[in-house]
Amino acid sequence: MQGQSRSNLYLGLLCVAFALLLIFIWIPLDTKTGIVEKARGKFVIGDALAPTVAAGFILLGGLVVSVFERKVADQPTISRTQVKFVASLTALVIVGLAIMRFVGPAAVEIANLFRAEPMEYRLLRATPGWKHIGFFLGGAIMVAGLVSVVERKLTRRAVLTGIITAVVLIAVFDLPFEDLLLPPNGDV
Amino acid sequence: MDILGYIWLGVQAVFLGPEAFSILGMSISITVMMVLSGFLFGIVVGATPGLAGPFAMAISLPILISVFGYSPDALLPVLGFLIGIMKGATIGGAVPAILFNTPGTPDAFMTTLDGFPMAQKGQAKKALRVAHFSSASGDTFSDIVLFVCAPFLAIIVESYLDLPEKTGLLILSLSFIAAVIGGSAGKGLISIGLGLLAVYVGTGEDFYPRLSMGADGLSRGFPITTAVLGVLIIGAVFKELEEAWRETGQNRPAKVPTQSGDQKLHWPDIKRLFPFIARSAFIGTAIGALPGVGSTLAATLGYSVGRARHQKTKAADAPSFGDGTPEGIAATEAANSAVSGANLIPVLSLGIPGNAAAVFLILAAESIGGFNPGPAVFRFSPDVVNPELVIAFGLFTCMTIANLFNWTIGGVFMRSMGFMINIPKTLLLPAVLLLTLTAIYVQETRLEAIWFALGFGVLGYVMRVLTISPLPFVIAFILGRSLEETARQAYSATGNDPFFLFNNPIALIFILMSVAVIIFAGRKPKGTAP
Amino acid sequence: MKNLFTAAAAAISIAASAMSVQAQEWTPPGPIKLMIAFAAGGGADTQARLIATELENRLGWEFIPEQVTGKGGVNLLVEMQDEPNDGTVIGMIVTESLGYNLYTADIGLTPEDFTPIVTTAGTQMGVVAGAATGWTSFDDMVAAAKGGQDIRFGVMSQRLGEIAYLLGKEQGIDLNIISVQGGRAVLNGVTAGDMDVGFMAGIQAPGVEAGDLVNLASAMAQPLTQTPDAPTLPDLGVDFDAAAVFLFAGPGGMPEDARNAIAAAITEVTSDPETEVGALIARAFGGPMNIQGAELDALVMRDFADSEALIEAASE
Repeated sequence: MQGQSRSNLYLGLLCVAFALLLIFIWIPLDTKTGIVEKARGKFVIGDALAPTVAAGFILLGGLVVSVFERKVADQPTISRTQVKFVASLTALVIVGLAIMRFVGPAAVEIANLFRAEPMEYRLLRATPGWKHIGFFLGGAIMVAGLVSVVERKLTRRAVLTGIITAVVLIAVFDLPFEDLLLPPNGDV
Repeated sequence: MDILGYIWLGVQAVFLGPEAFSILGMSISITVMMVLSGFLFGIVVGATPGLAGPFAMAISLPILISVFGYSPDALLPVLGFLIGIMKGATIGGAVPAILFNTPGTPDAFMTTLDGFPMAQKGQAKKALRVAHFSSASGDTFSDIVLFVCAPFLAIIVESYLDLPEKTGLLILSLSFIAAVIGGSAGKGLISIGLGLLAVYVGTGEDFYPRLSMGADGLSRGFPITTAVLGVLIIGAVFKELEEAWRETGQNRPAKVPTQSGDQKLHWPDIKRLFPFIARSAFIGTAIGALPGVGSTLAATLGYSVGRARHQKTKAADAPSFGDGTPEGIAATEAANSAVSGANLIPVLSLGIPGNAAAVFLILAAESIGGFNPGPAVFRFSPDVVNPELVIAFGLFTCMTIANLFNWTIGGVFMRSMGFMINIPKTLLLPAVLLLTLTAIYVQETRLEAIWFALGFGVLGYVMRVLTISPLPFVIAFILGRSLEETARQAYSATGNDPFFLFNNPIALIFILMSVAVIIFAGRKPKGTAP
Repeated sequence: MKNLFTAAAAAISIAASAMSVQAQEWTPPGPIKLMIAFAAGGGADTQARLIATELENRLGWEFIPEQVTGKGGVNLLVEMQDEPNDGTVIGMIVTESLGYNLYTADIGLTPEDFTPIVTTAGTQMGVVAGAATGWTSFDDMVAAAKGGQDIRFGVMSQRLGEIAYLLGKEQGIDLNIISVQGGRAVLNGVTAGDMDVGFMAGIQAPGVEAGDLVNLASAMAQPLTQTPDAPTLPDLGVDFDAAAVFLFAGPGGMPEDARNAIAAAITEVTSDPETEVGALIARAFGGPMNIQGAELDALVMRDFADSEALIEAASE
């Protein structure tokens, strides 16, 4: 039994704790109508019942895993490197999205320095060129970054993949369809 | 309007719909073209290691909706394309499995056992032919069962099941899915619970968005695309990227050895393979009809049954299963392909999706509107045409067309796809990630949706690492709303009877069965524990 | 709400004559975000999208439609309140969203935090039973209930639930009120036999025509066009109107010129039966109803204030 992972036990206990937190604290505090409520002279099912049932599934699952399946063979483990790897992927995606969100408006602000009449990015969000800046830069950097992390080196191929992906997606989603908005143009 | 009338309307809806172009005065409808392009696209995707049918369905959906718009006319072309992908990916997955020992889709893993040895012996083309023939046979058989069973099952459900029974049936389906997907009932229950919890955030009857912690971003709940694509697609991309990262610097797959000998599939071959195909097609169809039991199990079962049979009947000098025998490929491919059609039986007759492909068909129908898969579809109303029923028969027609394409051009196209192995996963997967995020954004048009999807992606990754199957999560997310609504309705309809699930014999049986299924599955691993 | 239809008749003529000129004076400074509070693919969503398409063709304005569904339009209102009010963001809801739903949601918002722009059409709201019940009139249903039968009554919003409750109370019968999501769910429930009767907002017309469904009563203050002999809500002792009216609104404090220009433009395309949307409104929603300006403000405020009376009446 040496070296056998005990992840099932920890997972089960975590789920039990989460379910109890849900049932006794989160759900009662964060729903308005309780498990049942009185409306028009009758008791009706309130908004808290369904989440409580969901929490019940988690509780039951946690119990089954931590009691009946505690000692099954080949339990999985999460290694520190896996956590680091996924954290870096997520961070890269977040950086890419941040660039996507803010580069377009920033470009407009810079352009305004040289214009008598100030422009507003929001009103340019359907104008070709302006509307592509954020998506192109953010998307290309995101993809190139992810490729580089996975291949453990920054190559010209990675940068090229990023650029091509962003251009192809603009061609697929934006050029043929007037109504579709690429990120971030629905939020500005 | 009788049954035949509806079938005829469904066929017409496919062939006489908007025209794509015409050849020699014969007009080819857009729907037919969409089925064909979906089918070919599916083969390409299936043949690409790291991509599977659900990926392709997920990313093409927003593009299709933008092309065809939100109108009932959009349903058949869009669903036809998705069905094409579903079928194409099934046969495409066998290509890299046979040629490079790398299954293109998870279903094709068992195909490597005999397909790759055959390729090593210089019989790659023949192995591909066997795979295609068996896959197409299994698929066609399964579709026929679907066409016959789904309407009858739906009519029975509609006429015998009232609101309390429908609530019981939903609970039974969720318990069954928790118990059978993945190896652990406990983890299945956790997956179901998390999926239900996620769909209940921000929704509900009251105007206060429950469980939103007062955050505006959560007050509209999690859009279904963010949960489904996040957990199923982004989670899988993260997992695959991690595996690619570990493998960095390792060798590329071996080259295909020189091919020799007779590569054709002859009539005696077919006669020899037929019993294996028939058995596996039957197994695959039976398993596919149960929600949540995947094609992997069907392939494993089909293979084991085939192997047992083969041991008894084979000639002494013929290769055994695992040494590169056509029967092994046939037993696997017929079984995993037979799952896809039968999997739509619970979707169309009960509204319950059983696998990822069915999830995306429901997602498409829900996004476009005008077609709600479930027993109400099969209402043969005599006076007013029931448009949903026409769509249902239109879908059956699309599946038949896809099968025809499969039999005629599928094999040739599939055998030309060997080169897809050369596309490196390390470049492909990041591009797929950006594509998925973009696809979510164009449908939801707010950055919050991307944050949600990313969060669900991380959740999907963690679940995969901990071997918690993400599919019950997704199915629970899809069924959660209707579970709550049906329960509320059943409660009101029975005059506010809090025990409506137990005062009704059929509902009670469903509830007892759900408990039994969990206990049965939950006890199983205890016996095998060391 | 009772005077809605008389108000509408007067408003149409004013709108058509006075406002169409103003459309020329104001143009949107950028693309217009059109939020739609209805599920994609339904009749209401189609109406909104067709209006946008028609305006794009006629005036060259650019629309970007977006679905913001849920909570009877309240989700859309919450989302819209912080948006720019220069006419580049508008939403399509029903009067009930700014009325009963906003009132009940109790989130510190009133109709004054928004700019109602123009209504497009009402709905032919009826109390509809399945033919399988064997009822041919409202009295048949009351008799069945008094005979001890459990009656399942489908509704698609909380407000309609209150009205259904009052309807039962006035007749001295107890209804099992089942709330579902969306009008199609009531239709499906009644056709499948899961419910006996329910409110339907025009979706019942083909079924009534074919004899599968029966309009037992009008759920409005005036008779249904399809079944003019059926009793109205006031006939049945209920002093509220269940009709829903489709409404375009913007964030609060929208400038008058923008408001009037958008109202005039929408009025022009919805009241023209030659347009695709005009034809849809004539076919499915009983014809156009374009109320705007001060009259619309008053209507919306009255609806909001009436909600308290409705809730009080239903809680007795």
